[in-house]
Amino acid sequence: MSALEIRSVSKRFGRVQALSDVSVQFNSGEIHAVLGENGAGKSTLVSILAGFVTPDEGSISLNGIRVPVGNPAECRELGIQLIHQHFTLVPQFSGEENLALGSFRGLAGTLDLDSSTREAKTIAERLGWSLRLKDRVATYSVGEQQRLEILRALALGGDVVIFDEPTAVLSPDEVTDLLGVLRRLRDEGKIVILIAHKLSEVLAVADRVTVLRKGVWVASDIRDNVTSPMLAEWMVGEIPALQEHPSYISEGTQGLAVEKLSVKGARGEVAVRSVSFNVLRGEVFGIGGVDGNGQLELAETLVGVRSADSGTVRFGDTESSPYISYIPQDRQRDGLAMGMSVSDNLLVSGIDHPLLTSGPFLRPSAIHTWANGLIKKFQIKVESLEARVSGLSGGNGQKVVVSRCLDRLPDLLVAVNPTRGLDLKATQYVHEKIREAAALGTAVVLVSTDLDELSAICSRRVFMNRGEIMDGPGAEALLGGSEAL
Amino acid sequence: MRPETLRRFGKGCISALVSSGILFAALIVTLLAFGLPIVPSLHLIVDGAFGDRFGMSRTAVKMTPLLCTGLAMIVAWRAGIYNIGGEGQFIVGGIVGAWTASFLPHDLQGIPATLSLVLILVACVAGGSAWAWFAGWLYVRRGVAVVISTILLNFIAVQILGWAVSGPLQEAKHQVPLTEQLPDALMLPKFNRQMDLHAGVIIALLLAVLVYVFLFLTKSGYRLRLIGDSPNVARANRMHVPREQLKAMVLSGALCGLAGGIEFTGMTGQLGLGFSQQWGFLGIPVALLAGLHPLAAIPSALYFGALFAGSENLARFTEAGTTIVYVIQAVAVLAFVGTRSIASRRDAGRVEDDSPTETLVGATAGGTS
Repeated sequence: MSALEIRSVSKRFGRVQALSDVSVQFNSGEIHAVLGENGAGKSTLVSILAGFVTPDEGSISLNGIRVPVGNPAECRELGIQLIHQHFTLVPQFSGEENLALGSFRGLAGTLDLDSSTREAKTIAERLGWSLRLKDRVATYSVGEQQRLEILRALALGGDVVIFDEPTAVLSPDEVTDLLGVLRRLRDEGKIVILIAHKLSEVLAVADRVTVLRKGVWVASDIRDNVTSPMLAEWMVGEIPALQEHPSYISEGTQGLAVEKLSVKGARGEVAVRSVSFNVLRGEVFGIGGVDGNGQLELAETLVGVRSADSGTVRFGDTESSPYISYIPQDRQRDGLAMGMSVSDNLLVSGIDHPLLTSGPFLRPSAIHTWANGLIKKFQIKVESLEARVSGLSGGNGQKVVVSRCLDRLPDLLVAVNPTRGLDLKATQYVHEKIREAAALGTAVVLVSTDLDELSAICSRRVFMNRGEIMDGPGAEALLGGSEAL
Repeated sequence: MRPETLRRFGKGCISALVSSGILFAALIVTLLAFGLPIVPSLHLIVDGAFGDRFGMSRTAVKMTPLLCTGLAMIVAWRAGIYNIGGEGQFIVGGIVGAWTASFLPHDLQGIPATLSLVLILVACVAGGSAWAWFAGWLYVRRGVAVVISTILLNFIAVQILGWAVSGPLQEAKHQVPLTEQLPDALMLPKFNRQMDLHAGVIIALLLAVLVYVFLFLTKSGYRLRLIGDSPNVARANRMHVPREQLKAMVLSGALCGLAGGIEFTGMTGQLGLGFSQQWGFLGIPVALLAGLHPLAAIPSALYFGALFAGSENLARFTEAGTTIVYVIQAVAVLAFVGTRSIASRRDAGRVEDDSPTETLVGATAGGTS
């Protein structure tokens, strides 16, 4: 019996300890699920196994032989194959050409599609798959693309197959098919490693489960010994209770009212499913959940960047349009215009300010005074107002976004992971400012994957799972419970 | 003045000096490659461009279209929409201007003549903007890359010009492929009968100031710059990115059309196959050399204008043709853009060094609290 063993592996990225002293043994003929929340260290573990990341400490061995770390090509050579979460296919190439990429040996010589894809085709036959290998991958369904990925990896040979969150993009039928493939590979005697965060799938297919939380090994056990509530508690620990805050909700004020809202995602899939909730002025409404469950699409719809598929979003008395501020998740992409100055970046929300403009014109001196005021008030450390915003540290960059969002008190503030990547001091600062805005009468929607953040500043909290809002205090609401597969 | 402003001014001066050094070196290299004696050649160029009032007049009239098309590129590129169609917009502007002129009586004087001149220029602006609008519309509505569509529209514009000057707009005798000569009264005023220098140069300089004011001191200009720098930020703040980009494209086309109009009513007075001496294309190096800053476009256009005027003189006395100026331009722009990109890569590297953990944390972990 062969086994892949990792011993005392640790990895640190800057301030974040992604993995600390993790040891796990994966056996052949077993589907071994590695469970964990966002940031639990699953991806780091996978990257280390596949050779993309070099661990700071620890070792990996396959059948007692030491696996060289930090070398993807050699890991592949030794038979450790990774099926990526995001497909690594060339859409313009045919299925066959994509398969050939797996055994691509450089630019010299001629391309013999037949011989370089023979192995993959044999495997496809064994699995009973008929793929349109002559067609361009762009015409494939998501499920077909994944099959191609799997074929390409299996064709390279080897005993270890790692699936990194393989079900994230699949439809329910495709998930069932995939789980069948996992079982089949197990029965062939391979070491199958499944990285996942959905309890239901893990419980349906895994033989053994390992749970990581915040980079630390929590538990490993065989499937029959674990239950869904057990796993949930291992994954998130105890969900911290909401901290007590004085209530600022004033009677009679109407805030945000969302009714039966459905939104389509970037690929046309239903991202938000008939969601309804209310947020009053003075309230911080928290929406938790694992990334990619429709939170981003919901937030974008609330602020008017994305349009709803059906349902309504209204704010208070509909006569005057509300002033909405938005702290986007991706600061570098959606928050800051990197090539522009600090002053220009602050002006993003000040552009309609009556004091800063007259008619079509800007008033540079007024803007200068105003921007200086913001910098002082929000304690943003900048070289000068004219310095490029790209030179600021992450915390100061975020402060630029937060300050412009809260400069004029918004009716509605939507913040998505507003403290991601910030240090403790900056995080506290942003939290303080959000509470402050709520105290002054803003209705706040806080979307966050960080449970501590949600419990620290929210007055109410729900979780989102597969586009739906799950009410309830427990971990199962967060992780989507255990619907049968 | 604030110390910050002073510091920026100092920085600007240094950067201008460095740029001039690069340009001068490019000039020397090109002369060497052509096997021309350096000192006498430089002497001929400087003499031709600035030697006497005629030289300066030549420099100024070459600078004028360069400045206008350069400004046009600046407006579009600042909005993140890469208009390569200045040439086509310039030509179509000229054609529509000439077409409008063909309806006007030729014996106008005084105020009616001035109004007619204005009308012709407005027609040119309309022609240029319409040509650019089409490319912008194709991009916004159909996703056709502006670089491709504008280049192709250039070819179409050249063909239309060829057809127009030997067809509907050809001069009355139908002998040469030229349009009717515009009467003096409908031309832009000249400062001196012996020289080419016309009022268009003043329009061009004013335009540079106007574009500066627009880009940096108006709300629309700010939006345009924001969209060019980061369409995502603009979108997240509920700005309508395609609409703003279409506006920028139309504005850019308007400037090119006006450039065509100034060339038509200031210099040529008639359209022929050689109406545009690549003015639309040459606006691109002018804009790049100016770092997409409208006021910096003035010295940038002046440099290339002087180079054109000077190399005409060089061509007169040596074996090198005026083509040498295109070579000098190309070398100058490549050298300039090359050094710039090295500098900006260095800057970018420094920024990344500031916060390597930042990106890693963002990519790998949910949060730190």
